[in-house]
Amino acid sequence: MTQPESGAPDAAEARRAIEYYYEHGWTDGLPVVPVTESYLAEFLATTGRDPDEVLIPMPHLNKNLTVRLAAINAALAGCLPEYFPVVLAAWDSFLGDGMVTRSIWQSTTGTAPFVVVYGPARQRLGLNSRGNVWGSGFRANATIGRAIRLGAINGLGLKPHVFDQATQGTPAKYSCCIAENEEDSPWPSLAADNDIGPDDSAVSATVIRSVLHIEARHTTAPEQLAADFADSLCRTGALVRARASGYVVLNPEHARLFDKHGWSKADVRAAIADQGWRTYRDLARAGKEAIAGGTGWRLPADHPDARPQETPDDQNSPVQLITSVDAVQIVVAGAPNAGVSSIVETFGPFDRGPAITKVEER
Amino acid sequence: MLERAGIPAVSLCTDAFRITAEAMANQMGFPGYQYVALPHPIASRTEKEIDEMARDALPDVIKVLGAGLTYLGVTPA
Repeated sequence: MTQPESGAPDAAEARRAIEYYYEHGWTDGLPVVPVTESYLAEFLATTGRDPDEVLIPMPHLNKNLTVRLAAINAALAGCLPEYFPVVLAAWDSFLGDGMVTRSIWQSTTGTAPFVVVYGPARQRLGLNSRGNVWGSGFRANATIGRAIRLGAINGLGLKPHVFDQATQGTPAKYSCCIAENEEDSPWPSLAADNDIGPDDSAVSATVIRSVLHIEARHTTAPEQLAADFADSLCRTGALVRARASGYVVLNPEHARLFDKHGWSKADVRAAIADQGWRTYRDLARAGKEAIAGGTGWRLPADHPDARPQETPDDQNSPVQLITSVDAVQIVVAGAPNAGVSSIVETFGPFDRGPAITKVEER
Repeated sequence: MLERAGIPAVSLCTDAFRITAEAMANQMGFPGYQYVALPHPIASRTEKEIDEMARDALPDVIKVLGAGLTYLGVTPA
């Protein structure tokens, strides 16, 4: 029988600790890192904020996510203490975004937290912004994203089958944190576009329903590329409400193609927004041509809740689904090795910029 | 919340949300809170089916409302 090497941790004791957390329901299904008071103190030491400060109030559930609870869950998620200022900035952005405090994580839609990190913290913490950016393999991405989800489960009490009523959810709920590939992008980052200085790090956050893969290796025409993204953003299955919105996560190759043709990021957003429509016929085929009076949801024109509307003479007339460039945000991420990008489907915002918070380090 | 403000109320939800309804009652310090569970789903039913559901649920609604009024010290008319 092999003896453990000198100084190696006691694996049996570690397993007992891990099982203890499972027994209390304090996990997302994967093992968590045991947290002691002294380890928690290392997280809290990275910020000047009061441990009792409320980051996310949830009065209808009698819950508040405090700085302390956020730190405990960051530690459980496997974050290193130095990641914690990024986690805090993410929570601040979720508060600013507004969807979480409107109970979206209790909804049957089953949204995941989506976090993007910008600036020097990416290198300092080892956040991946390049190849396999959505995939696994990078501690900072995996654990910062997971810290949010565990904070929701343990801090806000949003456990699946109880207060989290997601019909199916999404795999992104385990963790969904990427970094912008600022080095390979021809443009300033989304943070720079939103007045974050070049020496500062920042975090944007919102809730998402899905990440769609876009295969577009076929063209060198920027107009065609923009049309391809617009089509996916405006798929009928994405339409709950009247309008569509999302992030386009452009790989650097696509970003450079636009740039080579003289298109700025604003030009790309405007082109995608401009092409963000479907025909009335397309919408009617899926029974989403009308809008409900109360909820504002899409439904068939003959539904009793539908607002009265005229059927257009030409059923091929366009119905604009993206009505503002604010509904189309662009982040550059991934490897510059193929024409593969992605669409991140959000719940808006439709008419204002993303929630971005500067990372404050002690 | 309405009942705590002295306004008689009946909560309705479909049976798909029973676990959440009971968890919510516990969370708000009101374990055993009575509500009326309707058959799921709602969204894909016709207007006629919804009317039938409402008719079928009415005795339960009145029962819970009566219990609420008794709790508040009001005698139902």
